[in-house]
Amino acid sequence: QVSVLYFARSAELAGLRCETLSVPREITSLQLWEEIVRVHPRLAVIQDQVVFAVQQEYVLLGDQLLLLQPGDEVAIIPPISGG
Amino acid sequence: MDESEDVPKEFIKLKSEKLSVDEVSDLVVSPYCGAVSLFIGTTRNNFEGKKVIHLEYEAYTSMAENEIKKICRDVRQKWSSVKHIAVHHRLGVVPITEASVIIAVSSPHRAESLEAVKYCINTLKASVPIWKKEIYEDEYSWKENKECFWTNKEK
Repeated sequence: QVSVLYFARSAELAGLRCETLSVPREITSLQLWEEIVRVHPRLAVIQDQVVFAVQQEYVLLGDQLLLLQPGDEVAIIPPISGG
Repeated sequence: MDESEDVPKEFIKLKSEKLSVDEVSDLVVSPYCGAVSLFIGTTRNNFEGKKVIHLEYEAYTSMAENEIKKICRDVRQKWSSVKHIAVHHRLGVVPITEASVIIAVSSPHRAESLEAVKYCINTLKASVPIWKKEIYEDEYSWKENKECFWTNKEK
């Protein structure tokens, strides 16, 4: 079970800022995204623009294998615009 | 004040209150430094012909603070004479002409602090999880920095 955090446009599309999701311990970042889109189909439109932050480290959507621990924080990061 | 003013410090703050240039530059001033360089990012009133009413910022606060700390570490590696670094970023609503971000760096001589401030703002725009929404008269838009390191844009 991981905590998923939504920000900016992804929070608007998903309609929430945070939730707990049950996912396999070993999963690629793309598979994780697909799980999340299953729950929130409206997120599909931003697939090409987002990355994850898993335990506050950036991860691109792709084949990277994640080894998740219970309670890990996974954030959806749309293109940033600080400063 | 008799504190050990030779210990380099970072001052990182994300807050919703109005930012103060005096406050940020006072944080980095040091008797060992002859230079304080400052960058202030302010809110423009227009974008592509549309009138901007105000900006709204949100952040993944804990990660943003950590990413800014990493930027400070990088600065110290690149410019070892840099003394203090302060980065204040405003969250929530920022009216036109008010500051969204203030960065101040002190160093004994001016070259290092000028370079370090430039590096800080450029890297912040590329890697710190903060988002800006531009509010127009009848719509809004989530902005995307061209520096954002994962978007496929021509830089």
